[in-house]
Amino acid sequence: MFEGENPLQAVMTFLDAGGPVVYALLVLAVVLWTLILERLMYYRWQMPTDVKRCMADWQARPDHHSWHAHKIKQRRVSEAQRHWRARLSLIKALVALCPMMGLLGTVTGMIHVFHVMAVLGTGNARAMAAGISTATLPTMAGMVIAISGLYFVSRLEQRVQRARHHLHDQMVTH
Amino acid sequence: MRRACAMALLGIAAFTAVAPAFPQPPQDLDALLQKTRDARASDARGLDERVQRFRDERDIRATEMREAQQRRDAAVARSESLLAEFDENEVALTEGQTQLDARSGNLGEVFGVVRQVSGDFASQSQNSIITLEHPARQARLDQLATANALPSAEALEQLWLDLLQEIVETGKVSRFSAPVVDARGAVTDAEVVRVGPFTATAGARFLVRESAAEAFTALSAQPPRGLRQRAATLAAAPSGEVQRVDVDPSRGALLGVLVQTPGIAERIQSGGWVGAVIIALGLAGVLLALERFIVLARVGGRIRRQRKDIAAPTGDNPLGRVLQVYTRQPELEPETLELKLDDAVLREIPALEVRLVWLKILAAVAPLLGLLGTVTGMILTFQQITLFGTGDPKLMAGGISQALVTTVLGLIVAIPMVLLHAMLNARSKGLIQVLEEESAGLIAEQSERRPQGQARVGV
Repeated sequence: MFEGENPLQAVMTFLDAGGPVVYALLVLAVVLWTLILERLMYYRWQMPTDVKRCMADWQARPDHHSWHAHKIKQRRVSEAQRHWRARLSLIKALVALCPMMGLLGTVTGMIHVFHVMAVLGTGNARAMAAGISTATLPTMAGMVIAISGLYFVSRLEQRVQRARHHLHDQMVTH
Repeated sequence: MRRACAMALLGIAAFTAVAPAFPQPPQDLDALLQKTRDARASDARGLDERVQRFRDERDIRATEMREAQQRRDAAVARSESLLAEFDENEVALTEGQTQLDARSGNLGEVFGVVRQVSGDFASQSQNSIITLEHPARQARLDQLATANALPSAEALEQLWLDLLQEIVETGKVSRFSAPVVDARGAVTDAEVVRVGPFTATAGARFLVRESAAEAFTALSAQPPRGLRQRAATLAAAPSGEVQRVDVDPSRGALLGVLVQTPGIAERIQSGGWVGAVIIALGLAGVLLALERFIVLARVGGRIRRQRKDIAAPTGDNPLGRVLQVYTRQPELEPETLELKLDDAVLREIPALEVRLVWLKILAAVAPLLGLLGTVTGMILTFQQITLFGTGDPKLMAGGISQALVTTVLGLIVAIPMVLLHAMLNARSKGLIQVLEEESAGLIAEQSERRPQGQARVGV
C-alpha cells in the first residue's frame, strides 16, 4: 500500500488512504511539534537569561526580608513562570485532542464502510477496505501523535516546575 | 396340342358350313361322290393351305417370340446393370450426405460461436469507453449478434479485426476528441484522454459513460484532488512520457458510486433530531467562546496598559481596581493591606471565570449526545432487523448512518470546545495569576519608590 517511489509519495499515499481527518491530524501534529520545539528552544536559551536577570534584580535590592521583598519576589517568580508556562496548556489541549480526532476519523471511516455496504452490499470486501483504512489510519495517527506529545508535555511541565523551585530557592530571603 | 384343337374346331366349322347345301336331294350319286371328292379334295387343299398358313403364322410367331425373348433378355441385362449402378449411386449418395452433414455441422458450430462471441463483445462494447473512440463498430457487432443467417466472410473478418483492436486499445493511453455532457446537460466537444478501458478524463475532470450513451458524462462529484491533478498532468504530458495514473479497475462503476456518496448536508440530515441538538449546542458554544475571547482580550489589554502605568490605577480593569485598594488607603498596615487585596482579588475572579465552565460542560456533553444518537440509531436498526430481517443491508443503513453521524457530530463539536476551553481557561488563569500573585508585588514596588512608604517598610 505504501510502496511509493519516494518517501513524499508514500506520505501522500498514506494521507489519501486515511481521508480528510488525517490531513487535519497532520496540521495538528505540525502545530503541536512547532509549539513543543519552540518551548524546548525557549527553555534552552531564554530561561537562563530570565533567571539571571531576576537574580541580578534581586541582588541589587538592599532589602531581602520585609513584606515588600516577599511580595516582590513572589511577583518576579510568578511573572517568570507565567512566561515559561505560556502555551503549555495549549500543547496539553492539542495532545488531548489527538485521540479524539483519531476517533472522529474512525467514525467517518465506518460511515464510509456502511455507505459502501449500502451501495454494493456485503459481498464486496475490497470496496469496504478503503473505508476501513480511512477508519483505522486516523486512529493510529492520532495515537502516535498523542503518545509522542504526552512525553514532551510532562517533560516541559517538569522543567518549568524545577526552574520555578530553583528560582524561588535562589532568591534568598533572610 | 392347342394347334390340333384349333384344327378340329376348324373341321367342324367347315362341315357345318357345308351342311346347308343338303336340303336339295342329289341328282346323282357319282356326281355327288365326285362332288364330295372334289369338295373333300378342295377341303383338303384348303386345309393344307390353312395348315400351311398356320405353320407360316406359327413360324412368324416363333420368330417374333424369339425376338421378344431377345428383347426381354436384353432388358433384364440392362435392368441388372442399372440396378448395380443404382446401388453404386446409393452408396455414393450416402457417403456424400455424410460428408455434407459433417461439413455443415462444423459450419453451424462456427455460426453459433460467432453469434455468441459477437453478442458478448457487443454487450461489453456497449458500456466500454473504447467504443466512443471507435463508434462504428457497435452497429457491426449488434448486427452480427442478432443475425439469423450465416455471416459473410467479410463480416467474420471484421469481427476478428474488431476483437484485435479491442485488445490493442485496452493497453493504450489515447487522446481523442469526443462529446462530453456536463452537469447542466450541455454537450461540448472536449479532448478526452482514455486510459485503456478503465478511465477517461478531460483535463482534470473524470468522465464516465452512462450505459450505451453516445457521449461521455462529466461526474458531478469528482474524486479527490490528488487524482484529478494526476489526470491533468497526464492530459498535459507529451506522448511517450511515462506517467503515474489512477485507473478505475471496475471500468467506471466505482466512479459512478462516487456520485451517490451523500454530501455533507445529506449526512447531517441523517443525524436526526439528536444531530440537530448537537449542532445547536455547538453553535451556542462557539458564540459563547467568541464572547469570552472578546471580553478576555479587552480585559487583558487593559491590564497590560495598567501594568505600564501602575501609579494611576483606573477603575475600568480588575488590576486597576485591586491597585486602588492601596492607592485609596496608602497608610494601611501590610497585613491589613494583604487581606484587603485578597478580598479585592476574590471579587474580580468570578467575572474572569464566568461561563467558561459552560464550554467545559459542552465539551463533555457533545460526545454524550453523540452516544445517545448512536444508541437511538442502533435501536432503529434493530427495529428494522426485527421487521425485515438482515437480508438487505440497505434497510439497516438509515439507522446505522444516524448512529455514526451523531457520533461524528458529537466529536466535531467536542473537539473545538476542548480547544477553546483550554485556550480561554489559560487566558483567564493567566489574568487571575496576575491579580493573585503579582498585584501585591506591584504595590510593594510602588510603595518602595515613595519616600513615606520607605519609612514604613522598615517596620
